[in-house]
Amino acid sequence: MLFFSYFKDLVGKEVTVELKNDLAIRGTLHSVDQYLNIKLENTRVVDQDKYPHMLSVRNCFIRGSVVRYVQLPPEGVDVDLLHDATRREARGG
Amino acid sequence: MAPGLRQFTERRAEGDGQPVLDTDAGEELMLVRREVSIVIGNRSPESPGTLYISTKKVVWLSDVDRTKGYAVDFFSISLHAVSRDPEAYPSPCIYTQIETGEDEDGSEGSDSECSDALDLSKVTEMRLVPSDPSQLDTLFQVFCECAELNPEPIEDDAEENNWIFSADQLADETAEGEDSEWNFSQNPTSSIGHSNGDHDLARTVLELQINDHRFEDAEEMEHEHEHEHEHETEARH
Repeated sequence: MLFFSYFKDLVGKEVTVELKNDLAIRGTLHSVDQYLNIKLENTRVVDQDKYPHMLSVRNCFIRGSVVRYVQLPPEGVDVDLLHDATRREARGG
Repeated sequence: MAPGLRQFTERRAEGDGQPVLDTDAGEELMLVRREVSIVIGNRSPESPGTLYISTKKVVWLSDVDRTKGYAVDFFSISLHAVSRDPEAYPSPCIYTQIETGEDEDGSEGSDSECSDALDLSKVTEMRLVPSDPSQLDTLFQVFCECAELNPEPIEDDAEENNWIFSADQLADETAEGEDSEWNFSQNPTSSIGHSNGDHDLARTVLELQINDHRFEDAEEMEHEHEHEHEHETEARH
């Protein structure tokens, strides 16, 4: 649940979602659910040569299970806070 | 792995030939749209058919050829989006990527165009083109809702619990007693040390509690250390 709440706080910020099939999509985080399914708005594909047709996509829904990485905006990362939160999560179970 | 796209021709005999659903497993039809074309991979669109979205899968059945139809589970749809840019595709459509469980070798597109015997399980892209583009947003919404109804099966649940606690089962016991302290900032009885900002007092209180009812040796060190850390955080607030 930690990452769910964490990502919820990032709603409205720019993130890059990298999928397990190497597609990387940049966009504004619109919403996220408990399965870490991610909805992006104003998306664009980072590697446009490989996936030219995705250019046009304005908003898209990405299944949580196919996400490899989410690149976060630097201003959305409070290291201390995350540090504490992960400890707490590990402890509280 | 994900089964990907597949042939689907199981229509109900009665009524208007809706697809057979696994109603025993709670599968329900969410949406039906007539006059929708399907585009598989890079192939040309297939004549209008009817799109059925259930709580489990997306089914497209041809209106003209009752032996023709396709289905893909939401489980296998890794991404869906509304595509409106004519550069990308001439008609506005729902664009989907399908997880096939095979590594992409970059050949799926070219293969499918020259061969009729298309291996559906290797198809990684599918477009659904409604004759009325104003339906796209609704379709997108329903896709989202249904995708959320189909999370990954939780196979590593037990494992998840294990990696935190199995190394030392003691941690399990302590975690419980700790909970109250862990949120001690909300607990009026333990906030005394904090209210006057006296760090040392607060720490002493904590250490007392720790010594009170707790375990021995290395574990303790670790816990103490974490309490200090917690303490610093609280102090900052």
